[in-house]
Amino acid sequence: MSYCKRINQTLFARFGGRVTAREQDRVLYLEGELDRWDDVVAAGLLAVNHKKYDGLVNDIRFTGGEIPPMRLPKVTDTVLDGAAPDVLVIGGGIVGCAIARECAKYDVRILLVEKEHDIAMQTTSRNDGMVHPGVDLIPGQVKRHYNRRGNRMYDEICKQLDVPFRRSGQYICFRGKKLAFAAFFGQLYYKLIGPRVTYLRKKAFFQREPNMNPAISAALFFPDAGVVSPYGLAIAYAENAADNGVQVSLDTAVLNMTVSEGVITSVRTNRGTIYPKVVINAAGVFAEEIAKLAQDRFFSIHPRKGTNTILDHKASKRMHTIVSSFGTSSTKKRHTKGGGLVKTIDDNTLVGPDAVETYQKEDFTTAPENVAFVFDAQRKTDTALNIRDAITYFSGVRAATYEEDFVIRKGKWTKNIVHAAGIQSPGLTAAPAIAVDVSRMAAELLSKSRIVRSNESFNPIRTGVIRASELDLPARDALIRENPDYGEIVCRCEEISRGEIKDALHRSIPCDTIDGVKRRVRPGMGRCQGGFCGPLVLQIIAEETGKELQQIDKSAPGGELLMGAIKEVMP
Amino acid sequence: MEELQFDVTVIGAGPAGLAASLTADKAGAKTLLIERETRPGGILKQCIHDGFGLVRFGEKLSGPEYAARFIDRLPNSDVTVWTLSFVSAIQREQDDSILTVITREGIRRIRTHALIFATGCRERTSRQIGVHGRHCAGVFTAGTAQYYTNILGELPTKRCVILGSGDIGLIMARRLTLEGAQVVGVYEAKPTPSGLTRNVSQCLWDFEIPLHTSKTVTRVFGDARLTAVEIASVDPCMCPIAGTEEIIPCDALILSVGLIPENELAESIGVPLDSKTKGAVVDERNETLLRGVFACGNALHVNDLVDYVSESGEIAGAAAASKEKKCRGLVPVECDQSLLYIVPQRISRNAEMQERVFFFRSAKDMDNAMLTITKGGNLLFSKRFSHLRPPEMERLPVLLTPEQLFGNEPLRFHLEELDHE
Repeated sequence: MSYCKRINQTLFARFGGRVTAREQDRVLYLEGELDRWDDVVAAGLLAVNHKKYDGLVNDIRFTGGEIPPMRLPKVTDTVLDGAAPDVLVIGGGIVGCAIARECAKYDVRILLVEKEHDIAMQTTSRNDGMVHPGVDLIPGQVKRHYNRRGNRMYDEICKQLDVPFRRSGQYICFRGKKLAFAAFFGQLYYKLIGPRVTYLRKKAFFQREPNMNPAISAALFFPDAGVVSPYGLAIAYAENAADNGVQVSLDTAVLNMTVSEGVITSVRTNRGTIYPKVVINAAGVFAEEIAKLAQDRFFSIHPRKGTNTILDHKASKRMHTIVSSFGTSSTKKRHTKGGGLVKTIDDNTLVGPDAVETYQKEDFTTAPENVAFVFDAQRKTDTALNIRDAITYFSGVRAATYEEDFVIRKGKWTKNIVHAAGIQSPGLTAAPAIAVDVSRMAAELLSKSRIVRSNESFNPIRTGVIRASELDLPARDALIRENPDYGEIVCRCEEISRGEIKDALHRSIPCDTIDGVKRRVRPGMGRCQGGFCGPLVLQIIAEETGKELQQIDKSAPGGELLMGAIKEVMP
Repeated sequence: MEELQFDVTVIGAGPAGLAASLTADKAGAKTLLIERETRPGGILKQCIHDGFGLVRFGEKLSGPEYAARFIDRLPNSDVTVWTLSFVSAIQREQDDSILTVITREGIRRIRTHALIFATGCRERTSRQIGVHGRHCAGVFTAGTAQYYTNILGELPTKRCVILGSGDIGLIMARRLTLEGAQVVGVYEAKPTPSGLTRNVSQCLWDFEIPLHTSKTVTRVFGDARLTAVEIASVDPCMCPIAGTEEIIPCDALILSVGLIPENELAESIGVPLDSKTKGAVVDERNETLLRGVFACGNALHVNDLVDYVSESGEIAGAAAASKEKKCRGLVPVECDQSLLYIVPQRISRNAEMQERVFFFRSAKDMDNAMLTITKGGNLLFSKRFSHLRPPEMERLPVLLTPEQLFGNEPLRFHLEELDHE
């Protein structure tokens, strides 16, 4: 009996004829109607087979709720009308930005479009910042391949892009005697297939992380793990891309495409129609929609939401790197490598994330039960974890495929598209390596119609914003004497000066929002959450951009903070 | 880097720091006042409502007028004032403190004999009280909304919900109403308002702004800007009751849900804090458990009247300026659950003055309550209060003789409601 027939029987048994499967051209399609989203996802996970098919497309109609449409930019104009880049990158997350920068190593014209008002606004900014060693990846997975290669690239890429990166390692902790035994054998497994690992007995572990749960009996230490600012790296990639001639168009959403004879001939956006030679799909949770427009849809994305909590610096002194426990939700769920407790690059403890299937691709709301769930789980690692130490929490949505693997390849049917889709954890780790391969695929496609040379003038080096408080005192003093703005502290929690904020506003990727400044130089990331510095940052943005105070947005157009002058000063 | 020397250095030029530095200067100490903002005055700069100074000056002043009473004395004093100056780090050398100060002119190092923390307090944020939903524009703490309105002359809202009935929230309810914004209501999770009675009456009742107690905001809605909030009733444990949710359309949520003394700098040099006040543990001279380090004003405990903040600064300033440093012989001061807190948390057996001034708040509303101070089972003092409310701090002068303070047993404060006669 064929696989498809068998799957149909299984689906019938489970969903009673409401769902059927059919195969065509090495793609398995699911059709039917279900009123529970969890069932829609379950059907996909039940039917998926990455060996027999290039992908699974889940076309089961969900009748239990309304799937919200993609949020679109407010602006409509024609500034991009007629643009004819060699490469059009769709999506300004970590993957799209890294690809744009790698493409700039070739002598090609590149346009990156991002529908949000800034780089790294969605999944990339809602990430735990872990550079994974690849603990729970299985040989044969595409993501394992890119995770290994990406991990090795981090030291150099972060040096080139002037982004702080700390290879601080990760502990996976085991409780009880039996599990200590398991850890010992686990170590032998990793010694065979990687990543690098050290087995630590209880005493050795507590010498390094003395404040963790005393019930921990052993730990595995993975020295290749590290931490980075995910949005910091994405912005750095984008700035370096822009410095090397990549055009970045924000507030730009892809609305439609024309495809003729298997070739995308034009791409319609809210800012005009573009005529690219090659299209790169790095659209995150919307990668399936882009693939559909390109008539190259052979995979489906089922969004999976996760919530992270950030603790105050004071409470973060309890631990030094990434510590997770074997058997917590984050390590047990096979496809979501949540960090557990992560000492971020900015020295806050991050607690999270959880994993909840959702049909809303842009549901960034938080809920108390998700935060509580994560804290309960992570108390296995640190029993003293207290929700009262939280200074903020946030949610992101992972762009998982049913194969639970990355899709990094040229189009299946359409000739001039390259997909970088299905990127979820460990996407941040993998991004540098994905970008190298995808840019090469794009160059290969282009070379069918013209000779593609390398870009001789490519400059891999980006200079980041000076972090004045991290300089030694004489150097900081000299900097202030040269530019007094570095001596005026605007954000007292994180000790950020006016000079750093002004720098953030005048870089190769424009930034004109409170959150944009926050993600670049951290005012508002501290314990007062911008209560004191928010109004000051607002005034600096207005001064530097020439806008009125009332025009300044928190994060995106329509998100103005102020609503008009008070009575006394009205004309 | 050159090192400058001062007898007394005060961090923060709000009402506490101004009073402390002027008093230390008057006592002959070479005094430095460090302020991170462009002008002295602290939060008073944005408090344009009246009611300041009733206790001290016998008149109702606005915040800036009250601050001016002190700021105007600075030019005639020898206090060195540095504005736009930020204390980045403090080290201790014996009993001296070494400060690293960031200024627009460069980095300066200060060696000071006495150090006074007058660092004020900050507002609790929406995250600390667990407001969930979308992270959109339109969630402000009341103090930030006050800055926008009174300093920048810009309204942060046209129609808002205020969560928390702290004094700033009540004052902002009135202020925004006067400016033409609509305040849908003030919501308070506790069964009673958190602010002063006079503020509830003058800011809400006089403007017909509804106050809803035992209700809280559970979620906010909106995309780029807030469009609505969800309100729910809470049970006595402050947990939202399912089924009581109600959606209120508005463009902003303004929070007045508590103030936290700012003591991160003090903590960095190991000043022990009181978990009840979140301020330093001090003796009656406002000296912390570290010799030569003092704390005053809202950094010490959150006050409801600025007059007491100034008094607290003066106590610290005078003590910091006095060169004499005899053994303090500290006696612990404790309170049970009938009080929210007591300040000071220590008193010196060897103090010259026999009058000690205590500040406390009752844990709940009490009518006809008896306060007792005991030590080792002996009743040292008692006083009857006809009415006590947690939002209203009590100032209590008590005469205590060295004989009464003999021995290491703590002084215990206790409140008990008497039967109505």
